[in-house]
Amino acid sequence: MTGKHTKLTFFLIAIVGFLTVCPVVMLVFGSLSEGLTASGDFTLAKYVAAYSDPALLEVLFNTVVFVVGASISATTLALFLAYLNIRTDIPFKFIFGVISIIPMMIPHILFSVSWVLLLNPSNGILNLLLKELFALENAPFNIYSLPGMILVEGLLDLPIAYLIIAPAMSAFDASLEESSRVCGASTGKTIFRITLPVLRPAILAAFILCVIRGLASFAVPSVIGMPGRIYVLATHLYQMVSTGFAADYGKASAVGMSVLVASIILIYLYRYLTSAGEKFVTIAGRGYKPTIIRLKRSKVPLFLILGILSFVLIVLPVIVLIYISLVPYSMVPSARAFSMMGMKHWIDVLNDPISLLSLKNSLFLGIFGATVGIFLSIFVAYVIVKVRTRSAGILESLSFLSFSFPGIVIGVGFMWFFVRTPLYATIWALLIGYIATYLPYGIRPLSSAFVQIHNHLEESSLVAGASYLTTLRRVVVPLLVPGIISGWVLMATMFFRELSLSVVLSRPGTEVLAVQILRFAEDGLWGRLSALGIMMIAVSALLVILVNYIGNKVRPMVY
Amino acid sequence: MEIQIKGLRKHYASEGRIIKALDDVDLIIPANQIFTLLGPSGCGKTTLLRSIVGLESPDAGEIRIGDEIVYSSGKKIAVPTEKRGLGMVFQTYAIWPHMNVFDNVAYPLQNRKVSKDEIRRRVEETLSLVQLEGFEKRPATNLSGGQQQRVALARALVGKPKVILFDEPLSNLDAKLREETRKELKDFLYELKITAVYVTHDRVEALALSDIIAIMRSGRIIETGSPKKIYFDAESEFVADFIGRANLIKAVIQEQRPEATVVDSAIGRLACRKADFPVGAAVTLCLRPEFISLTRGDHQGTNVIQGNIVTMLFVGDAFEGEIRAGEQLLLARIEPETKLAKDNEVWFQVKPEHCLLVAG
Amino acid sequence: MKPAKKSVSFIVALLLISGTLFVEKGGAAEEAKVAFYANITAVEPIMDAFTKATGIKAEYTRISTAKFLATVFTEFEAGKLMADVIQAPLPVLEMLKAKGVISSYVSPEAATYPEGSNKDGIQQFGIEYVGLIYNKELVKPEDVPKRYQDLTDPKWKDKIVMANPASHATTICWLIGLRDNVFASEAEWMEFLKGLAANKPMFVASFGPTPAPIESGEKVIGISMPKYIVTKAPAPLDWARVQNQPLMGTPRAMGISTKAPHPEEAKKFMDYWLSKEAMGLLAKDVGEYVLTPGVFPPIEGMDQAKVISIKELSDDEIAKWGEEFKKIFAVK
Repeated sequence: MTGKHTKLTFFLIAIVGFLTVCPVVMLVFGSLSEGLTASGDFTLAKYVAAYSDPALLEVLFNTVVFVVGASISATTLALFLAYLNIRTDIPFKFIFGVISIIPMMIPHILFSVSWVLLLNPSNGILNLLLKELFALENAPFNIYSLPGMILVEGLLDLPIAYLIIAPAMSAFDASLEESSRVCGASTGKTIFRITLPVLRPAILAAFILCVIRGLASFAVPSVIGMPGRIYVLATHLYQMVSTGFAADYGKASAVGMSVLVASIILIYLYRYLTSAGEKFVTIAGRGYKPTIIRLKRSKVPLFLILGILSFVLIVLPVIVLIYISLVPYSMVPSARAFSMMGMKHWIDVLNDPISLLSLKNSLFLGIFGATVGIFLSIFVAYVIVKVRTRSAGILESLSFLSFSFPGIVIGVGFMWFFVRTPLYATIWALLIGYIATYLPYGIRPLSSAFVQIHNHLEESSLVAGASYLTTLRRVVVPLLVPGIISGWVLMATMFFRELSLSVVLSRPGTEVLAVQILRFAEDGLWGRLSALGIMMIAVSALLVILVNYIGNKVRPMVY
Repeated sequence: MEIQIKGLRKHYASEGRIIKALDDVDLIIPANQIFTLLGPSGCGKTTLLRSIVGLESPDAGEIRIGDEIVYSSGKKIAVPTEKRGLGMVFQTYAIWPHMNVFDNVAYPLQNRKVSKDEIRRRVEETLSLVQLEGFEKRPATNLSGGQQQRVALARALVGKPKVILFDEPLSNLDAKLREETRKELKDFLYELKITAVYVTHDRVEALALSDIIAIMRSGRIIETGSPKKIYFDAESEFVADFIGRANLIKAVIQEQRPEATVVDSAIGRLACRKADFPVGAAVTLCLRPEFISLTRGDHQGTNVIQGNIVTMLFVGDAFEGEIRAGEQLLLARIEPETKLAKDNEVWFQVKPEHCLLVAG
Repeated sequence: MKPAKKSVSFIVALLLISGTLFVEKGGAAEEAKVAFYANITAVEPIMDAFTKATGIKAEYTRISTAKFLATVFTEFEAGKLMADVIQAPLPVLEMLKAKGVISSYVSPEAATYPEGSNKDGIQQFGIEYVGLIYNKELVKPEDVPKRYQDLTDPKWKDKIVMANPASHATTICWLIGLRDNVFASEAEWMEFLKGLAANKPMFVASFGPTPAPIESGEKVIGISMPKYIVTKAPAPLDWARVQNQPLMGTPRAMGISTKAPHPEEAKKFMDYWLSKEAMGLLAKDVGEYVLTPGVFPPIEGMDQAKVISIKELSDDEIAKWGEEFKKIFAVK
């Protein structure tokens, strides 16, 4: 069995390594070579130029505040939502479950724009409303600020955190909490002393994934940060490459290298913090039954809080998008605006052959890509969690490699790589790039799920004479279903709206949705942008509901 | 402390059917006794236990622990679990994996603003009580099943609870360890003089541990009594059958004598333990295998019956023999050194006081 | 588990089928076509008109300015440049020319263009013109700026939107263009910059996001592109008719790749693109300012406006001025 493990580990290292190392190696070359490509003469000048920039220090400070702030809010909100949704008898669970993953389906740039329309200090709709209501002199909120950026990025990262925490939450052994209650601790104290500490690996995983995503995020820093003159690493990199006509991605990757190093350190830190793998085994096979906590008196207040939060934070921005897609141009809601509403933007989009082609391509990449990605993730997560050798650690770090590179440069890395292969300018380049970059979306929820499965369960099946693969299929996979669903949803919705790679790798015939969205954004066509965005949300939501339905058939599990 | 339960009711709706987990349960659990709730799975015993501890809220009824009403549907009282001051050992032990042994055991005291020194002292004291001295720093996940069980016990006891509750605490241990722990637990609880409510589906465990056993079925308590009373003198066929292995034989009351009740049964006319049935009533005769004793040569006396051995199964401390008497197959325990074999003719006797008659 | 297993295999089969669809497509027979690399809005009508006129299929690959050179160079070096015709700001084409990517083909149509618009195969055909765009519902006619200098009036405080002067190349070139073509002295120019900075304009990444805040009323005026008056109609946008001052912009140019996979089609495409017909479409549908004499975008007053190309700066100069503007505008 050990021999098999070793072989499997090395096989996976080879695959994952090939997928993720190649573009990063190209970026290393790029950062070290003269000229604008990855094949010039050797030079260190780009590193010197990149790191001697005096603005870098403040940028780093902003980046840390932004990323950590957003990750904390995303993780906290995800915990709150997941706890109420999974552990308690709060009504309308299904709706809250879908709402918490909606931001995953919205193109980030669109969500950011929507918040600008709600909370800009000049005529943000919510600001106007609050001014009216409380007779205020000035707008109470300014979205163009670090808190504003943290709010929007936090919401965008919420689904990542939710989809990692939810499976762990639904596998939680309720007797751990019950015994705390018997020992005299109130429900609140139990949450902080027992529930949260036991869920620590999932919480940390969610937090770290959010941090890494936040580092790579571009939409929020550019749409909200730049007007507020707040620069973070992503916008700093953008400035670096976009000042002038000859964008130097080598220099950008030189800065990106430190993000990469930071991410790898985070991953090792995470492994260290959760190193006692046995610690968090909570399904031991027997006596496992998720108990629903009855909220009783706090049911209505909590439901209201959850309802208002979900409405203001997630539903309202979507309503704004629907509104923009119906009015002829961006305008503050008024009687006149409503009288001018029409379906023009929708008709334009539906008559645009490239929009339709990109919808088809993205659908293919989402469904097929996520399925292949999840298949690979199952094996990788298994090795990472259950084998836990040094090479398993290498595998885990490899899986994060291209994921942790800032989005605006990793695409160029993939271009530099793919142009050397026959896959260049085909849809397969996109597919492989997506899977390689977003592998952690599959691996994270699956490893949280694997951590919860006790070795005995597998071993007993092995003893029962089942082969290695049969064990995986018959015993482990069914228990993993919540993790598989989470991972699939994360990957599929990500692939469906992927931008960073697509904008570099997509070509005529392989247009994808996000690229089309970006084109509309570059031309300032917000109406069409919103119409297409809502179509994306609808299709994604349909996918999510479908996969939940299939998942529930395999094993009943609400998340 | 005495626990009084009145009219406790809890119904679930499951797949369109109403399941009566607790069907108007009335019960008094006397102070400082080991009280066991025994029954097949799904009988409501765990629901009753969880209602006492407050993890389950009943639909109606009243629970009183000592002088305090902890639950009453009429008076609209529902004391939350954490305020009931009880101790509980869970089936899975529910040892918190992120804490070491000390923190696990100290937890109930930490929730009560006990001083740090006092906590240290009492945790050490309790750990030595359960023979886990020196285990304080051990991570909870590095414990064997038996050790986890002791930590759970220590945690339940450290706060000096009014009542300690056990939810099948031995079912996760292997057979040998279970037997040892059962004995230890019995001695331990006996010395502590504490009210203990114990839930199990294992009759041997119930018999060995309890002062009083209550047998539950379909949300009702059908019989309460000392282990011996339940074992020897059950009032219903279900209890008689559930508490130990029994040969159940249809019989009709023939005659009421001052010292015995005589029945006609499938294995002949027998004098039985005195039971209050009218002559002619149909009853069930309950014969435990261990009370069927073979007679040697002497075929005279009361309740001597002739039969043929059908099978002999060696189980170590005895043979389990099946004897055909008339049309009836009887299970009997036969001494392990016997030379008897299949098809041998045997004579056996059952003492009248071991012939239990129950309604049926 | 049984039905689950069935549905899983069903999904796998579905995926495989959908997969083959894409493979087959790649293997289709080569047809007459031309590949066009550019970053320009809504040129599909011109592509369609070209196909209609010549029977050659035109494929438009849109690459954002920030990634344009990196992409073309990478493909070129790997021998996989798929472009036949390349359109970009003039400086970009000159950098490409320097690396040998652009051929010296001169279209016969070039004769109709102003003198000096063709440099060794690089044909300038339009100007990406920049102006002061305002919301005509929120700015009273008497308040509309009559000179660029009017933008420094404190009444515009917190009401201006513009692309980031620290990084947006065209905006940097435009500000320098003001110095060279509008202001009498460096000091006057500097005063203008400081006045503009004092009005705290909101910075966005590029021109793309500039019209949205103006039309929604979040801001009321911006340094933006008049073409949005056409593309964003019926949004209440208009341009400030600066008096005796020019509108300025970076020159748009195009050329044919030295390694064009379809060289003949490429020439036909360029000839067509430069024709009065195509340029008319570009002006009418996209609001572009083209150099074809007598063709103007359908924007009121634009036929009277003086629109000039601004001097191109090298990337080093852009970076240097970017730093300078960063200080002046206190861009952190």
